[in-house]
Amino acid sequence: MKQKGSKIFVYSCIAPALLLFAVFMIYPTISVFRMSLYEWGGLSARRTFVGLKNFKVLLDDRFFLRSFQNTVLIITLVTIITLSIAIIFAYILIRERIKGENFFRVVFYIPNILSIAVIAAVFSAIYAPDQGLINGLGRLLNPDTWVNIQFLGNPRLVVYSVIGAMVWQAIGYYMVMYMASMGSIPTHLYEAAQIEGANRVRQFVDITLPLIWETVRTTLVFFIISSINISFLLVNVLTGGGPNGASEVFLSYLYRQAYNNASYGYGMAIGVVVFLFSFALAGLVSLVTKRDVVQY
Amino acid sequence: MLRKSLSICLLGLLLFAVIGSAVQAQTLKIAGLDGGWGREHWDELARRFEAANPGVTVELTLAQNIADILRPQIIARNYPDIIYLAVGSAGGLTDTLIKEQAILDITDVLDMEVPGEGVKVRDKIVPGFTDTLITNPYGDGKTYLAPLFYSPCGLFYNADLFGPGKYQLPETWDEFFELGNQAQQDGIALFTYPTTGYFDAFFYALLTQLGGPELFNRAMNYDVAAWESPEATRAFEIIGEIAKYTHPNTVAQANVANFTKNQQLILDNQALFIPNGTWLPNEMKDAPRADGFEWGFMALPKQSKDGDSYSYTFFEQMYIPKGARQVDLAKKFIAFMYTDEAAQVIYEKAGAVQPILGASELMADDDPNKLFYTIYDDGAKASMGAFAAAPPVAGVDLASILFGTIDSVVNGDVTVEQWQKDVVNAVAKIRAAIDAQ
Amino acid sequence: MNTQRALYRERFAKAIIYILLIALAISIIVPLFWVFSASIKENSEFYGNPWSLPKGLHWQNYRDAIRKARLGEYFFNSVFVTALSLTLLIAVAVPCAYVLARFNFKGRKIVNLLFMAGLFVNVNYIVVPIFLMLLGWNDIAWEILGRGIFLDNLVVLSVVYASTNLPFTIYLLSNYFRTLSRSFEEAAYIDGASHFKTMLHVMVPMAKPSIITVILFNFLAFWNEYIIALTLMPGPRKTLPVGLVNLNQAQRAAADYGPLYTGLVIVMLPVLILYIMTQKRLTQGMTIGGIKE
Repeated sequence: MKQKGSKIFVYSCIAPALLLFAVFMIYPTISVFRMSLYEWGGLSARRTFVGLKNFKVLLDDRFFLRSFQNTVLIITLVTIITLSIAIIFAYILIRERIKGENFFRVVFYIPNILSIAVIAAVFSAIYAPDQGLINGLGRLLNPDTWVNIQFLGNPRLVVYSVIGAMVWQAIGYYMVMYMASMGSIPTHLYEAAQIEGANRVRQFVDITLPLIWETVRTTLVFFIISSINISFLLVNVLTGGGPNGASEVFLSYLYRQAYNNASYGYGMAIGVVVFLFSFALAGLVSLVTKRDVVQY
Repeated sequence: MLRKSLSICLLGLLLFAVIGSAVQAQTLKIAGLDGGWGREHWDELARRFEAANPGVTVELTLAQNIADILRPQIIARNYPDIIYLAVGSAGGLTDTLIKEQAILDITDVLDMEVPGEGVKVRDKIVPGFTDTLITNPYGDGKTYLAPLFYSPCGLFYNADLFGPGKYQLPETWDEFFELGNQAQQDGIALFTYPTTGYFDAFFYALLTQLGGPELFNRAMNYDVAAWESPEATRAFEIIGEIAKYTHPNTVAQANVANFTKNQQLILDNQALFIPNGTWLPNEMKDAPRADGFEWGFMALPKQSKDGDSYSYTFFEQMYIPKGARQVDLAKKFIAFMYTDEAAQVIYEKAGAVQPILGASELMADDDPNKLFYTIYDDGAKASMGAFAAAPPVAGVDLASILFGTIDSVVNGDVTVEQWQKDVVNAVAKIRAAIDAQ
Repeated sequence: MNTQRALYRERFAKAIIYILLIALAISIIVPLFWVFSASIKENSEFYGNPWSLPKGLHWQNYRDAIRKARLGEYFFNSVFVTALSLTLLIAVAVPCAYVLARFNFKGRKIVNLLFMAGLFVNVNYIVVPIFLMLLGWNDIAWEILGRGIFLDNLVVLSVVYASTNLPFTIYLLSNYFRTLSRSFEEAAYIDGASHFKTMLHVMVPMAKPSIITVILFNFLAFWNEYIIALTLMPGPRKTLPVGLVNLNQAQRAAADYGPLYTGLVIVMLPVLILYIMTQKRLTQGMTIGGIKE
C-alpha cells in the first residue's frame, strides 16, 4: 500500500511503541546478558568480571539440570494434555448442539482469571494427604485399603501434581481460542462431508484440524512462554520447589541462586539460558509444524 | 479574621521551627521482620527510645516480606540505620550482606554502657552469645550482629502421653528408637518435622553432642575432615534412622504453605516428637488438640546415659548495614535493647526473651514458657552458632544440600551415604573458594 | 434396526459428553465456592477438614483484611495503575500493530523480529535491571529537581507495565488486523480519508473485538502483577497483590487464615465481574493466526 505521506504515518505509529520497548525491555535484557558475565552478590558494589565462567558452572550443576528437565517435562505434558482436551471440548461445544453451551464456555474460562495464590490454595486443599479432596474420595471408596497418595511429598509425583494444576488453569483459555477459530469455519463444509458419509472423527481430522492449524501453531508458542512463567509462580506458592528441589523449575532456581545463594550473576546466566532456550524451542516448533495454509 | 488566624498559625510554625532546631532533630530508621513476635513491642520500644532521646524520631518499617522490600532499597544505597532480620531468614538478605561484607563492625557497642544501668553491654549479655559464628561471622573476634530474642530448641511432645503407665521419655538414642517401635504398634509415628529448615537447630545440637563444641566449630568453618569424621557420620546416620520413623504425611506438608499441618500431627497424637522452638505453643494456640494435651519439651536424646546433652539456642539478630546515616544513634539504640526496661517491654508485649542476665526472672512462675527456658537448668548445655561467612559459590546452596536433602532421605530416594557425600563435596567447594581469596 | 442402534449410540455418546463437561464444570465451580466459603470462616475452622462448610458468616475477616492490611487503600492504587497502564498500552500498541500488519516499510522485518523476541523475555529477571536504570534516572532527577521522581511513582509503574506487555499485545492485535479485509481501507482512501483517519475511524472500530480481548488479557496481567510493583514501589504505597503478602502466613506466628482468604476474594472479585461482563466479546476477539479472506 504505497501512498503519499505514508512514511511519516508509519514511523510515527511505530516510534512510541518501539521507544518504550527499547527502553524497558531491550536495554534491561542486554544488561541481563552483561551481568551474566559477572560474579556479583547483588547488593554491594563488589563485582568481578568472570567471562563465561557462570555458564561453565551451569553445565555441571545437577540442580540446574534437574530444573531444566522439570521445565521441559512441564512444557511438553502441559501442552499435549491441555491442547488435546481443549480442542476436543471446543469441537464438541461448537459442533454438537449442547444445552448450556454458553454456561460451559463461561465456566471453563474462569480458572484462567484466578490469581496464582487462589489456584495454589485450591490445589493445596485438593492434594492434601488426610483431608485432601482426592485422598478423601479414595478413602471413601476404599476405606480399608486406601494409602494416602503424597501428591506434593513424593518427588516422582510432585511435578505431575504441578502439571495437573496448570492444565486445570489453562484448558478454558485455549478452548475459547480454538472455539473462536472453529467458529469461523463455514458449516457447509461439514454438511458436504456428512453427505459423503464422514463420521465426526473424520470430519474433525479432515476439516477442523487443517483449518485451525495456524491457530494451533500460534498457541504452541503461547504454551512455551506461559508454561515457563506459570510453573514458576505456582511452584513458588504450592511446593516451594520441594521436596528437596524435586519440583524446582527454571525461574524458581534462578531466584534461589540469585537471592538465597547470593549469586546474582549466576542467576542472570540462568536467565540468559531460559531466554535462548524458549526462543529456540519456539522457532523449532514453529518450523516443524509448518504446513501449507489451508483455505476455504 | 482569616488573616488573623493565619498569622497565628505562622507564628506557631515559626516558634516550632526555632524550638525544633534547638534540639537536633534526628531520624533513626529501623527496618525489620514482622514475624512471630508481632510488632507491638517494637512500637513501644520506639516510643520509649524517643522519650529518652529528645529530638529523635524512630521510623519503623516492619513487614513480613522485609527482605524483598529492602533488597531494592539497599541496591539504591538507601540504607536503614538498623536491620532486624535473622541469619537464614527467607530471602537470604542478611546472609547476602554478610557474604558481601556490607555490615558494620559493632564491637564497640559491647563496651558502651547499657543506658542508665552503669554496666557495659558486654557484661549484660549472657556469656557466649557474642562469640558465636552468627554474631562474629568472619571469626576475627569482631562482633557484627547483635543477638536478640533467644529461645531454646529441642523436641516438643504431648506430655500427656508420657508418665507412669504410659510411654517413657527416652534418654538415649537407643531408647528413642525403641520407643519408636513401641509407638508404631499403637499407630503413632515417632517423629515429624515442620520443614527441613528446622533441622538446623537439630543438626547443630546433634553434632555438638556427638563431637563436642570443637568439632562443631570446625564443621561450621568448612573443615572437610570434620564433615567426614566418624562423629559427623554418626550424626547423618541418626537422622537417617529417624527418617524411617517419620510420619508419612510429613514430606508432603513440609513447605511454607502446609508446615502447620505437621505441627498439628503432634496435637492430634499422630506423631510423638517434633523439633521446634519455644514459639510453637503460641503459633498453634488456635488449633484443636487431643483431650488432655499438654506441651512437653526436652533436649535431644543422648548418645549414652552419661553423655552430654545439648539444646541449640536459636536467636535473632539486628545489625547496622554499612552506609547507614545515623550510625551513632543506631549503636545507642542497640545498647538500649539490652536494658531491663527494654527486656521488660519485649517480654510483656511479645513474650520474647532477651539474652541478658536476669531476663528469665521476668517470667511469671505460671508462665508455661518458663518450663522451656529451664531446659538449661536441667543439665542441657547450650549450643550456638551457624556456618561462618563464606564467599558465594554459584550453584552450591549448602543449606539446601545439608537440610533440604532430608526430605529425600525420608522418601528413600537418597541414601545417608550419598547425602553425606554431597555435603562433603559442597563443603569442599566452599573451602576452596575461601582459600582462593 | 440399524438406525435404532445408531440412535442409541448417538445417545450414549451424548451422555458421555455431558458427563465430561459437567465434571469439568464442577471441578471449577467447587473450588471457587470453596474460596468464598473460606473467606467467611473463623480461624479455628481452618484446622481440620478444609472442605467443611463454614459454621457461620464471619464477616469480621473482611473488616480485618481491609483495616489491618490496608487493602482498601491498595485497592485504589491498583485500580489507578491498571487503568492507566491499559490506556497507555492501547494508545501505543494499536497504531504499531496496525502498521506492522498492513504496511510495507523498511525495517519492518527487524521490528517484527524484535517484538517476537520480546515475547520470550520474562519480566521476572529483567525487573532488577529496570530498577537500576530508574535508579540512575533518579540520581539525575535529584541533581536537577532536588528529588527523585522515577521510583515510588504509580505513573512510572504504569509505563513499565504497558511497555513490558507490548510484545504480546502487538502480536495479538496485528494478527487480528491481518484477518480484516483490505477493501474497507481502500474505500476510505477513495473517499479521501488520511491514513490516520482511516485507522482511527475505520480500522480501529473493526478491530474492537480484538482490542477488548487484549484489554481483558492485560487487565488480568496488571491486576495480579506482583514482582515489578514490589521492586519499583519501595515506599508505603502499594498495589493490591503486594499488600496481600502481609496477610500471608508467617513461620513462627499464629496464622490468620480467614483474612488471607478474604484478601484473595477481594483481589478476585473485580476480575470475575469484568470477565462476566465482557465474556461474550471475548470469543469474537480471540481469533489468532487464522487467515480469513
